[in-house]
Amino acid sequence: MRTDNPETLRPEVRAWLKESIPTGWRAAMTGTDQGSFVRAQRDWFTKLVQAGYATPHWPEGWPGGGRSLAEQKVIYEEIACADAPRLILYFVALYHAACTLLDCGSAEQKKKYLPKILQGEIWCQGFSEPNAGSDLASLRTRAELRGDRYIINGQKIWSTMAQFADRCLLLTRTGKSDPPQGGLTYLLLDMRAKGITVRPIRQITGDDEFAEVFFDDVEVPVEDRVGEEGNGWAVAQATLSSERGLTLVELNQRMRYALTRVATVMRERERFDDVAIRRDFGRLIARVNASCALADRYLLKRICGEEVVGDASIVKLAYSRTLREFTSLGMRIGGLQSQYHQSFMRGATQETGNWVVDFMNSYNWTIAGGSDEIQRNIIAEKLLGMPREPRTWKLSGESA
Amino acid sequence: MSVDLTEIQDSARQISSGVGVAAGEEKTWPLIIELGLLQVSVPEELGGLGQGLSGACALYRELGASLASGPYLSSMLAIDAICHGELTRREHWVERVTSTDYVAAPLAESSLSVDAARMSGVAVAVPSADIATHFLICTSSGDCVVLVPRAQPGVEITSRPTWDTTRRLFDVDFRNIELEPGLTVASGNAARLLIQRLSTHRDFALASDSVGGAGALLNMTVEYLRARRQYGRPLALFQALKHRCADLKVLISTAEALLLDSLTRLDDTIDRHDETMGKAARYLACSAYSRVAEEALQLHGGIGMTSDHSCHLFLKRAMLNEHLGRRSDSYELDIADGMLSTL
Repeated sequence: MRTDNPETLRPEVRAWLKESIPTGWRAAMTGTDQGSFVRAQRDWFTKLVQAGYATPHWPEGWPGGGRSLAEQKVIYEEIACADAPRLILYFVALYHAACTLLDCGSAEQKKKYLPKILQGEIWCQGFSEPNAGSDLASLRTRAELRGDRYIINGQKIWSTMAQFADRCLLLTRTGKSDPPQGGLTYLLLDMRAKGITVRPIRQITGDDEFAEVFFDDVEVPVEDRVGEEGNGWAVAQATLSSERGLTLVELNQRMRYALTRVATVMRERERFDDVAIRRDFGRLIARVNASCALADRYLLKRICGEEVVGDASIVKLAYSRTLREFTSLGMRIGGLQSQYHQSFMRGATQETGNWVVDFMNSYNWTIAGGSDEIQRNIIAEKLLGMPREPRTWKLSGESA
Repeated sequence: MSVDLTEIQDSARQISSGVGVAAGEEKTWPLIIELGLLQVSVPEELGGLGQGLSGACALYRELGASLASGPYLSSMLAIDAICHGELTRREHWVERVTSTDYVAAPLAESSLSVDAARMSGVAVAVPSADIATHFLICTSSGDCVVLVPRAQPGVEITSRPTWDTTRRLFDVDFRNIELEPGLTVASGNAARLLIQRLSTHRDFALASDSVGGAGALLNMTVEYLRARRQYGRPLALFQALKHRCADLKVLISTAEALLLDSLTRLDDTIDRHDETMGKAARYLACSAYSRVAEEALQLHGGIGMTSDHSCHLFLKRAMLNEHLGRRSDSYELDIADGMLSTL
């Protein structure tokens, strides 16, 4: 890791962003179809890769790689502050896939897949299933070893952008489920393999960001297994911890800049003449700044190696609740106007000013990536030392 | 955190370990003076520890966690004013007010006016005014900060007992008293800047007291839930209660993050922007404290309603904190206006 002052990087990143951000992307991405969204994401991805700002977290030797966490934080802050589009389509590839490969992949797997990620391969995540959401370890998609291939049967759900993906990070069951975390195996799957059906899920906003993926005797060569058979749970932890708090720093900063955007519009419309709204907006400013400070301090803690299990849950819960509050207030200040149907914007965070859509999308943060309820369990158990409820249960009137 | 701040917190902890939680003023106040805690934010060139507002806030947090009595906040506001004011012989004053003399500053906004070097009005929420040697008074017009000896004719104090028994508040009535020219701490624009400084100091102090108190109270509540058993299991096992505690933890952590982050952004002069940061920290921390205190009593059940248990002491201090500082309904609007003015 480089130890130079991360701040020296800031002017360089800022200047590059000023030159490079696609002008008018917010307008261009409003009411657009998914095809143009994918093209715009690809263009922005290519620019970032060339400048070395897409992979600062990769090791030295890769474009822009070998940056310290403090430097990565600077890059993310500047990206947020410059209001660049979010790189939603490539997030799983750049973080989840790459970090899993870097931490747990074999030399051959790294050599085969990492360069392709830089060339723009899109990855999706195949973890959740209809009956394995919060309780991920109870997943049932089977992988059966026959000769030198695994045969996959089952179903995944909530895979973000799976309909565009080239590859999938697939968590499967190969063995018994006692304990449930045992018997899981981690595979890299070619989304063009025979037997895969992808069905986009129509969401309440009218968009279809996620998909269901069905597997019918899909073959995966054994060399595409990451780690040992039965060790998939440990590998999945590498996937889930790959972003290391950077995303929440970025999202919080974006939420903070959105305050200014909202305030400007609201002042133009004279909504601040309403004292009750001004008061609620003041409260929101305090909460947003606090959520930002929390994410910031959490990352500093990580940089110093002082993180404790459960810290990340506080940061996520603070963000998700603040975002809900932000979008609820947005709907209130938007009034009846906000209820009229308008086209939504792609590639942005949930403060676009299309308040009903923003509000609906804010559930992405209170449900995905460990729901608020799961985060509360973690905080209570890991940070407050409250006991975990017993594993066995019986409803009254039911026989054991 | 620097070693010095840790040292300050360690000595502040000696107060609670020495005299206990919510001990009386007669025990805590002499100890605070003896440990030299009042010197924390006095600049080094005036003989202090030079730890600035961050140092003071580290102290306020610890003392807040143990519900310390004693007019330390009021005293440190006055000391801050003396250090940054224009009195002659400042070293001499600092020496006096950190050892023998207690200069009391109001913890809430008061209505006081000066006309032809004579002052009238009532200063409210002045802690422990009966043991003060002087009062530090900011006039409502904002252009005058003065010291007034308690013994001066025309100064009358009235005790105003509060539900919060960890503070002893007084009204101080000034009846057309004559101001001594040598006791002017600041006037004109310097006074305006000094008042901005003191109000901000007070906001950060209340925020720190609240974060400290809320954290201690949540720990105490979780301990209780772990120990108390009903239906053959600890209450801490019930998810309905765990989730409420987790939400309180998030509330405290966000208020704490905003407080500490804001303190790192301050330098020696307090400007408008710093003032808004102080308001936001005060607003968020005091409302978090109230919420934690309200929930803590409920989570304790019947025992929380008894005077023997310390739950109510936290609740009453949290409720009073919400009314100290600036006018309690002005914070959220001020934060909004602070941002709108920068657009």
